[in-house]
Amino acid sequence: MAAVSVACALGVVVSRSPMQSVLNLLGSFLALAVVYLLMGFQFLATAQVLVYAGAIMVLFLFVVMLLNLTDKEPAQSWLMGLFNGRVLGSLASFLGLAALGMLAAGGATFEAFEGGLDGSHEGGLDPIYSVAEVLFSKYMLPFEAASVLLLATMVGVMLLAKRERGEEDLGQGGGAA
Amino acid sequence: MSIPTEHILILASLLFSLGALGFLLRRNVIVVLASVELMLNAANLTFLAGSRAHSTSDALSMEGPVFSLFVILVAACEAAVGLALVIAFYRQKRTVDLEAATELKG
Repeated sequence: MAAVSVACALGVVVSRSPMQSVLNLLGSFLALAVVYLLMGFQFLATAQVLVYAGAIMVLFLFVVMLLNLTDKEPAQSWLMGLFNGRVLGSLASFLGLAALGMLAAGGATFEAFEGGLDGSHEGGLDPIYSVAEVLFSKYMLPFEAASVLLLATMVGVMLLAKRERGEEDLGQGGGAA
Repeated sequence: MSIPTEHILILASLLFSLGALGFLLRRNVIVVLASVELMLNAANLTFLAGSRAHSTSDALSMEGPVFSLFVILVAACEAAVGLALVIAFYRQKRTVDLEAATELKG
């Protein structure tokens, strides 16, 4: 698995087309997830597959395909800009929601263990239990800061996309209005 | 507990060097962002190796996974903002070549 991961990482760096390199990156992430699993960190392997191989890869592939397919006709690019802003914003918010949902799932499991199975599971044996225990007691402040960071990222990406769209609208003249 | 810690650290350093190489050598913005993700992954792996080396036989130490979770979160934010910037850059320059970003050159 380590060899697969390193080979895919090498592929990321040396391959000529960005498409190939992004697909190699996906392979590297998946191999690393298996390495995490072998090391005994089930929760983090799940997080790796969901956030990296799922959300971040979708973003990368989306951008690569979008930029490869774009031609230089202005009408096309105006439509593309409109599409772009919305899709990019919703993708970013999906990404943030996925990360927050996973963190919340960790917390929910913690409470379920605490309420339902009192004492039948000793803490520290179940990985998710102990992750949640550390995360919600010792690292509560970084957790809150992370949620603020996600919100700021969401707003920032929407602002980037929206301002670009506004400029393109102005450049296109009154046809849109 | 079968994999020795040294092997994990060697793997992490290999991944990090490959990421740094790609970051420094490539000129395609998308590939540069992908290399940054590779380096973040290597850092995650190091966190986990340290956490595993510090855990006792009956209880895994859970500090490493928590920090890795934060790193994954920051990586997600970075990818979203970086790719939005790539698209804005592409709209202006019609290219994703980093050599085209020369506006601040003196």
